[in-house]
Amino acid sequence: MDRVSIRRAAKEDVAAVADLVVRLKRLNNEFDPLFNVVNDARERAERYVSDSLGAKSALLIVATQGEKVIAFLRGEIRERLFYDPHMEGHITDMYVLPEFRRKQLGHDILQQGSDALIKMGAEIIVCELPTRNDIGFQFYSKRGFRRFAETFAHVPG
Amino acid sequence: MAKDLSKDEHSRKALSYSKFYGGKVGTTPKVPVRSLDDFSIWYTPGVAAVSLAVQADPESSFDYTGRWNTIAVVSDGSRVLGLGNVGPESSLPVMEGKALIYNYLGGVNAFALPVRVKDEEHLIDVVKALEPSLGGVNLEDIESPKCFEVLDRLRAEMRIPVWHDDQQGTAGVSLAGLYNALELTGRRIEDSKIVLFGSGAANVAAARLFMEAGADAKEILVVDRKGILHPERDDIDQLSVKNKWKYELALTTNGDKVTGGLSEALKGADVLIAAAGVGPDLVKKEQVASMNRRAIVFLMANPIPEMWPDDAIAAGAEVVATGRSDYPNQVNNSLLFPAIFRGALDARSRTITDTMVIAAAKELARHVRDKGLTRNHILPTMTEWEVYPQVAAAVADAAVREGHARRELTRDEFLKTAMEMIQRSRMTMDALTRSGVIAEPPEQG
Repeated sequence: MDRVSIRRAAKEDVAAVADLVVRLKRLNNEFDPLFNVVNDARERAERYVSDSLGAKSALLIVATQGEKVIAFLRGEIRERLFYDPHMEGHITDMYVLPEFRRKQLGHDILQQGSDALIKMGAEIIVCELPTRNDIGFQFYSKRGFRRFAETFAHVPG
Repeated sequence: MAKDLSKDEHSRKALSYSKFYGGKVGTTPKVPVRSLDDFSIWYTPGVAAVSLAVQADPESSFDYTGRWNTIAVVSDGSRVLGLGNVGPESSLPVMEGKALIYNYLGGVNAFALPVRVKDEEHLIDVVKALEPSLGGVNLEDIESPKCFEVLDRLRAEMRIPVWHDDQQGTAGVSLAGLYNALELTGRRIEDSKIVLFGSGAANVAAARLFMEAGADAKEILVVDRKGILHPERDDIDQLSVKNKWKYELALTTNGDKVTGGLSEALKGADVLIAAAGVGPDLVKKEQVASMNRRAIVFLMANPIPEMWPDDAIAAGAEVVATGRSDYPNQVNNSLLFPAIFRGALDARSRTITDTMVIAAAKELARHVRDKGLTRNHILPTMTEWEVYPQVAAAVADAAVREGHARRELTRDEFLKTAMEMIQRSRMTMDALTRSGVIAEPPEQG
């Protein structure tokens, strides 16, 4: 079996990463109807991934086995205008294909993603999860992350 | 609308007799009341001394009270028999029946306790709150996948045995039958390709137990309505949220990542364990014919198995078991659960582990081999009452070896205790019936 490697994403990865983005968004939908995925999610995902490749403040890394993209992490640098630490590395998306889970790949891609965001200027690493994503909470908690903000939603009408 | 069961003879009698007797089990005293003065011993003021003794050592409640032999048969009524979510009151007749079997076959003081709860957290809280009164808990007829979470949490968080018969009971008896079927066909569980058709409580538990018993996870295939479980199935992320037990099986089983449905799964398989739903056309002859020579086929749906046993044999199956009593090799939970709790209670065990269930399954299988193993006799029947104390002793012995027993006896001592307890229960019932305290049922039924 081919070795797994982690690297910065390139143009040829766009389609495969876009597929994983859609899978991630559909997974989020399992936790809450406010994450209802739009019909043209695949096209949007492709634009989202392409734009990320060209953006200075964004990070996109992939894990591959042979030719196959098996996981990805997207992050971006955000300024915290009123707070110290002032610059945050915000992990917007991370997804590992199910058959590659529980093999340290999530840990490794998070580690490399965090390192890359720090090199880009991040002073803290932040990620967002759907409230009911218990597996995600366990994953990040085991790696030293803690809750520090909550998002509330209200749908008028 | 309520289903009309009155045409069925058993149903008609069940309705009539249940009304006549006003339920199937009740509490009877264990101590003599020679005069009203005895209440000064059994109740106040004497009883205060017992309370203080138990306060000083709560574990002594297993010695001073009936806790050591008492279990509750708990249900939320969310998946009762084949009736579905009928609610706690409607589950009460079923739970009373279970309690009666526990009493009669296991000498266990079991009582029915359906509860009205709003969700699984509430159910877990309610059952945990019962712990001081009980030696064990039998969970019953709780819908899947809720039942997995409830059982796993209660096993981890309570200091008395918690058992979910729809999972562990069915899995345990299946394993016993499987051991003997493997023996008959010259196989070992470690080398066998096992297909589990259906992914409800029984088969998810069977997969977990078979792996504990040595089956190779990579050689197990689980097939549900959407096909064979594998890590790249379209609904895998959905499963990770909605049914983490099936998700776990999707990640750990099916080493060759076989895709497709039952037909693809059964090609070259050694064993089929079907708990998929009412047949008889869920499994086809050609699918069984595609299995390995001398195939083992368990068809557990009631009342109509996933395929008729004769068809399975005609298609080449060597050993066939069903859930029905009118065919050979009935996979019947009642062979196991009374003995499991008899053994767990006799050892005052803090839990029932998979190892204890495997010990019970091996003992059931050994009993059959001692009497004569044939393709039509891989499991005992409920009339072979001597098997219950034997299995109980094996369970208690395993509890001691694993360090879960509060009371450590030898296996022979456990056997003697179990025999006495079960005999006493049967003698009590016989005596009550002979004396007329338990009346004969009404003639008209």
